[in-house]
Amino acid sequence: MKSQADPDNSFTDRISSRIEHLQEGFRKLSRSAGVADIAKRFAETARETLPGAAIDIVHRAGSSGEWTPLVESGSVPVAVLKNIAGEKFTVPCTIRQEKGVLLIVQRLADKSHLGLILVPPKGGPAFSEADVMSLRLLVQYLDNAYQDLVFRKNEKGLVFSLNHRILQLNSLIETGIEVAKLDHNESPHHLAIVRAASLTNAARGVVTVSSGKDIVEEFTFPVGTVVDRTSRDMNSIVASFSFLNNTYSFELFDKESRAGVTPFEETDHLLLDALAKQVHASLENRYLHEQALEKQRIEQEMSVAASIQQKILPVGLPEIPGYDLFGTNIPSKSVGGDYYNCVPLHDGRFAIIIADVAGKGVPAALLVSSLHAYLSAYLEGSFAMTRLAARLNKVLYNDSTADKFVTAFFTILTPETGELECLSAGHNPSYLLRNDNSIVELHTGGLPLGTIDMDLPYKSERVTLEKGEKLFLYTDGVTEAENEDHVLYEQDYPVTDFLKTHVAESSEGFIGDLIADIRKFTKSAPQNDDITAIFLRRL
Amino acid sequence: MDQEFTLTSELRDNRLVIATNGYVNNVGGEAIAAEFDKHFENGVKEVVINLAGSKVVNSIGMSFLLEILEKLQDSDGKLIFTNLDPAVDKMLTIMGIFNLAGKAGDVDEAMNSF
Repeated sequence: MKSQADPDNSFTDRISSRIEHLQEGFRKLSRSAGVADIAKRFAETARETLPGAAIDIVHRAGSSGEWTPLVESGSVPVAVLKNIAGEKFTVPCTIRQEKGVLLIVQRLADKSHLGLILVPPKGGPAFSEADVMSLRLLVQYLDNAYQDLVFRKNEKGLVFSLNHRILQLNSLIETGIEVAKLDHNESPHHLAIVRAASLTNAARGVVTVSSGKDIVEEFTFPVGTVVDRTSRDMNSIVASFSFLNNTYSFELFDKESRAGVTPFEETDHLLLDALAKQVHASLENRYLHEQALEKQRIEQEMSVAASIQQKILPVGLPEIPGYDLFGTNIPSKSVGGDYYNCVPLHDGRFAIIIADVAGKGVPAALLVSSLHAYLSAYLEGSFAMTRLAARLNKVLYNDSTADKFVTAFFTILTPETGELECLSAGHNPSYLLRNDNSIVELHTGGLPLGTIDMDLPYKSERVTLEKGEKLFLYTDGVTEAENEDHVLYEQDYPVTDFLKTHVAESSEGFIGDLIADIRKFTKSAPQNDDITAIFLRRL
Repeated sequence: MDQEFTLTSELRDNRLVIATNGYVNNVGGEAIAAEFDKHFENGVKEVVINLAGSKVVNSIGMSFLLEILEKLQDSDGKLIFTNLDPAVDKMLTIMGIFNLAGKAGDVDEAMNSF
């Protein structure tokens, strides 16, 4: 446009006078935040450069297609906009004047196009060569500014993306630590699905714990999200594992982007899989830890029970004038279910007892403890042996569970006469070895103690132990000791044979030799039952 | 754990205080940005975002927060985040949000930080 005030200014002078103004325009354009902003700033600068001119700016994503208005003056003829609507622009910059209207189409760094339509002031002169040159410079600045904007945007996107990758890795490590540290009341799979959704930009997540076809637990994120299983499309990913008969399934739905839902990426699969594996490891560790604690607790209980039982079993048996008595107990676990004792009665007689509780460990030891307590109490009185057995049956029945009972052999020795009153409550037979090397099997009695509370009677039998004769009481740990081939000691060498053929100088020696013989038989096979034996010899 | 997203806002001394509740994702971020824009156009340039009710933020939600930050930076404004869950705090730190924004324990502390 020619200036009216200084008509003599040369073309170059007019250009030069605008340079500073255009540079300020470039600075303004460089601060743009987006294409709309850059268009707005360009329009402002152009209006300052060409006062009175009307300017419209349009934009389209490619070289062809719909134009989107960014700046509208209302003065640009509709025909001009219609003319360029379907036109394809292939060169970087198109400049043309049609009927006084200046059209500039600039291809931008992202291949989109910006269309600038300028109309000179109403009634004013057409755009001069200098005006066009100024505008061309300004458009060049716009192009540079837009390139800079795209570069900055890409750079920001790259930094954001790198930071997001760092965040994902950091979160993966942190989540692993957190799920390992979670309290047993907290669920690691809940934390994992939340983290997985957040790190993969999933809109929703669900973790399902199922046992067979039954869903044991379902946790959704965000809480309250409804998972419509019938309308699942392909925009979901899943990772799963099985642990202790349960299947843990982690599912993510609808990966978000600023443009809407987008397909999940390979890294999203990897992340979800890694988080699921962390939960699996955490659950396994938690389970193993619980098992270790349980084992430790049982061992502590066993240790306590063993120390109690050690106090129950006699350190040594009483000396009975005219007799040699010895007993031993070798538990197969730290707490056994065998019991033996010899209790002096107030009338000078002695009660000799051997018993075996069904089972081992703490429950068996508790029943042994009950037996000991009741025996100690009842032997203070003057019960008949059969009545004693009946009373013990009743109290132990009340004290024990259905699968727990006690077999026992009781004998009361009258030292002066050698008379023995014997009663077997379901126990294996005891043996009396006569001087003529014959054996009397003692098995009269009744049912094991604590099996049934129906007042079934017990019977006892009386025999006399003559001088030189022996009485042998034992539990099935002796006869059922197994070797490595699972052959029983009794099958290989009946204990009655050992009794008949073995000569020892003392009761202790006899028992020691028997145990040694059992050890020789079983070799390295573990002891599978308590071994308890009593040997009484009348001198 | 985070429910569906909701927010409340108020103006205190011409400062916008937005309190969020739920997952700050595309939906949440968009809602925060829309609320911000409404007030930014009216000249509000100091903003507090209280994330007490949001324990989970994803990167799409964060991109909206970054946009708010950039707009405020360009207009010499300021954004302060408050009541951050440790996991969200770490997330925003790694993403570089606190290179541009401030953080405070609660809204009152933030109001005294402008």
